[in-house]
Amino acid sequence: MTLAITIGVLTAGAVYLILQRGMVRIVLGFVLLSHAVNLLLMSAGGVFHRGEPLLDRGVGEPLADPLPQAFVLTAIVIAFSITIYMLTLAATGKGDDTEDDS
Amino acid sequence: MLLLLLLALLTVITVFSFVIARFAGRATGWPLAAMLALLTLLVLVRGPDLWNGGPALEASVPWMPSLGVGLNLRMDGLAWLFCVLVLGVGALVMAYSARYFPPGRRTGFYTLMSAFALAMTGLVLADDLVLLFVFWELTTICSFYLIGLSGPAAARPAVRTFLLTALGGLALLAAVVLLWVRTGTTRISVILDDPTWTQDTGFATLVAALVVVAVFTKSAQFPFHYWLPDAMAASTPVSAYLHAAAMVKAGVYLAMRFSPAFADNAFWGTTLIVFGLTTALIGALFALRRHDLKELTAYSTVSQLGFLIAVIGVGTPQALIAAAAHTLAHALFKVTLFMAVGVIDNRTGTRDLRRLGGLARTMPVTAAVTALAALSMAGVPPLLGFVSKENVFEALLHTTHQPWIGPFAAIAAVLAAALTVAYSFRFVYGTFWGAQRRDPATERPREAGALLLFAPVVTASAGLILGLSVPLLDPMIERAAADATHADAEAHLALWHGLNPALGMSALALILGALLIRVSSAGERLAERRFPPVRGTAVFERIHSVVIALGVRVGDPTRTDAPTRHLAVPFVLIIVFASVMAVVGPGHGPPAGPTSRALDWLPLVLITAAVLTAVVTRSRMAALALIGLSGFATAVWFVFLGAIDVALTQLLVEILTVVVAVLVLRRLPTEFHRARPSRAVATAAIAIPAGVAAGAGAYFLTGRREPSAVSEHLLENAVQDTGGTNVVNTVLVDYRALDTLGELTVLGVAGLIIIAVLHSAGLTAMGGTRPSASHTNPIWDADDNTVIMRTVARVLIPLLMVWSVYLLMRGHNAPGGGFIAGLVGGSAFALAYLSASSASVARIRLAYPAIIAAGILVALVCGLLGFADGSFLRPLHADIALPWGGHYHFTTALVFDVGVYLTVVGVMLTALNQLGLPKGPGPEADEQDVPESIRHESATGGTR
Repeated sequence: MTLAITIGVLTAGAVYLILQRGMVRIVLGFVLLSHAVNLLLMSAGGVFHRGEPLLDRGVGEPLADPLPQAFVLTAIVIAFSITIYMLTLAATGKGDDTEDDS
Repeated sequence: MLLLLLLALLTVITVFSFVIARFAGRATGWPLAAMLALLTLLVLVRGPDLWNGGPALEASVPWMPSLGVGLNLRMDGLAWLFCVLVLGVGALVMAYSARYFPPGRRTGFYTLMSAFALAMTGLVLADDLVLLFVFWELTTICSFYLIGLSGPAAARPAVRTFLLTALGGLALLAAVVLLWVRTGTTRISVILDDPTWTQDTGFATLVAALVVVAVFTKSAQFPFHYWLPDAMAASTPVSAYLHAAAMVKAGVYLAMRFSPAFADNAFWGTTLIVFGLTTALIGALFALRRHDLKELTAYSTVSQLGFLIAVIGVGTPQALIAAAAHTLAHALFKVTLFMAVGVIDNRTGTRDLRRLGGLARTMPVTAAVTALAALSMAGVPPLLGFVSKENVFEALLHTTHQPWIGPFAAIAAVLAAALTVAYSFRFVYGTFWGAQRRDPATERPREAGALLLFAPVVTASAGLILGLSVPLLDPMIERAAADATHADAEAHLALWHGLNPALGMSALALILGALLIRVSSAGERLAERRFPPVRGTAVFERIHSVVIALGVRVGDPTRTDAPTRHLAVPFVLIIVFASVMAVVGPGHGPPAGPTSRALDWLPLVLITAAVLTAVVTRSRMAALALIGLSGFATAVWFVFLGAIDVALTQLLVEILTVVVAVLVLRRLPTEFHRARPSRAVATAAIAIPAGVAAGAGAYFLTGRREPSAVSEHLLENAVQDTGGTNVVNTVLVDYRALDTLGELTVLGVAGLIIIAVLHSAGLTAMGGTRPSASHTNPIWDADDNTVIMRTVARVLIPLLMVWSVYLLMRGHNAPGGGFIAGLVGGSAFALAYLSASSASVARIRLAYPAIIAAGILVALVCGLLGFADGSFLRPLHADIALPWGGHYHFTTALVFDVGVYLTVVGVMLTALNQLGLPKGPGPEADEQDVPESIRHESATGGTR
């Protein structure tokens, strides 16, 4: 439930920023959106087992699903590279306005 | 074996022609002709065996075994006949081309012609629907390029031809898919014997309609007939091959091949006969009105193909015998006529009948050859064309589909044949006899050389010899017709069958033809009339431009540079989709376990606060900091979810994102644009439902099942499979290393793009962004200003580097690994960059693109090492004994992780150096203002 609410909040903020006209705001919106999607991936693995999947730590809590974790880990890095790329685009041109005034 | 050898050799010939044509010029035609002749011979010697009832040759090589699609080849009597035509005519056309073209390179022509021969041979030998389709499209592509080869004027005809025949190709594809799905096999020989054809008339008619479109477009039948004369833009040898043995004959072959399936289908028979004869009539009529010999011959092909298609539509064994015989006869006389047109064009410099005449005196051989071919076309005994056309009449007369078709077909066929007689006469008489025109260009043309005339002489005399000895063809035609109908066929080809209706029709056609010649003065009178009311090419262009305009109209809403328009669409659609699912969607089970814990509210509240303030603030710095805060809170979430590696990665990425973003923000205004209230409301109206949809979706659609089987498998087997205890890391570098390699590449490419974008935008320089402080202000002096940071950094940077290597080494068993270690290493560089007192010392003098490349290369090489154990990216393991006892478990997965590490560090360095460092005149101008002493110190300060 809490995770789902977090995802909702992040998505709403992301969509709001993405639909603004400044490129930097769009990029920040995408950063929020990638957080939301990453958490959604984690949510797909289930949030009721939260043990760290380190097999030499002994058995305490049931272990969390490692597969979404691996996905999210690479997803974060990919999102990072895309973010810095988009920031680069924001830095080209004068200002970062994406629309003509009309 | 022969069949595979044929295709293999043709492939070799295609490649060979490409190589040899580069230095042999037009003479490339000779070796190619010799090789094609050899292949023809190989096929020819298999003939007698087939005629005596021998089994069809078959060969099969698996191609897509999982789909049941194979390189299945089959040569029965029908395929044999077409194979001989394709290869034999190909050889002759190649020989002709060697002399026809002016000296010079003809690489494109010879390569494409060889490829064309390959495609056609593959098409007629294919016993697999998919293979058939592939070769069918290959002929389309070859013809497109061959037509387009002739220069700018041919571009539009080539495109028209391509689009039209590709349309037929799509119809064929649809038929292929339908048949495949229905019968569950792609073997044509099996499909043709399927009981579906007689049991399900609706399905048979549907497939028949699709095949009809394919056949009509390829074989230039009305109303698609215009592409063939249009394609006259191609050079004459191309036309000769296209019209006689390739391309248009592909449609004829397809119709004959599918005859057994549609023999009893009324739609198939009626359509083929009606449209075929219509084409025969209008083609002949148009041919009679032409002044250009090549155009005349092209329309004559349209007309003759009409005869062929109509008689295939009759569908009886007798009709298929006629079709097979006429295919052969047509190939022989049509290739002769085209080559003759080429010779005339070559010798006189024109193909216009109004400027030609009386050439027989100076060009007797060409005249004789052309006359023989034209007589065969007109259906005059004793040439092969007479025999085949008489058989066509006979078959049409005995049409079984509808009672009214027989007489209609007979009348139409006789009329078309009469027109054929007339245009044949027009061609030969107008060129070689007729009045000699006073035209200096055509005054005294000389006969062409023996080498150029060799090929047309062979084909023309073949028409005569085969006509005289026509009963010899019986076994061959019988076998072809039997294989085309899957019924016994008995051929009695002869010049004299006694007095019968067909003979009467032949005679009538000749008489009517003669009358027509007299009345219309060999077509001249007709040529003056304005007819037809519309031209096919004009209709095509009209439809084409309407389709394009429609596409423009459809695409209009997206024709904007404003990203909002594009970005809003998916969001709105997701909201709509979520609403629909909420109402009609499937039910869901209860959560598989408790979904909330008390501590969860901490990151939730943090994120909510950060997001709410981030969307309203107008300060860029503040927004960036708040987004960073939400990133940290997300990292906390990962910790709570038991994803310690992910949390570490998130944390480091967040730091580095903020660092890079700050570098970019320096170049931009300090505040965002003011959002109009109406816009704020509109975007909020999309954003809030999107958030609700995402949250509800996350709650109701996830976490409703027990841990997945994959999860259990990984947790149970990871140690045993990989020797690592950090399961997440083993997934990254062992189980799903290929994914990771792909992601590394994306990362590396992003780094290179940053360099490219900034370089091409000329944006490496930036000016006017120095802090607005006066020289007397203490913060002006960067050297003093960063002293604390530099002191800390001096200790911290080596520590960070050592720590990053440590994280890398232990990643397989504990939190860490290439990504995290790389990000820590990147942070070290970021710190070095930030604490530097001036641009000149901040530069990190490392070849960062090379580091990225090295990272990807290391990962790739490590993947290749995996082949030692059987597959790409499989880790190799080794236990290395340590001198102080025990042993170290080494795996190449660690090497792979080193690749990850290097790439991440390389991209970080790229971002810092490219985005951070000013180059160009801006900063140097700034430094002019700095007092001498400070400049000297800052040059030596920094990372001392």
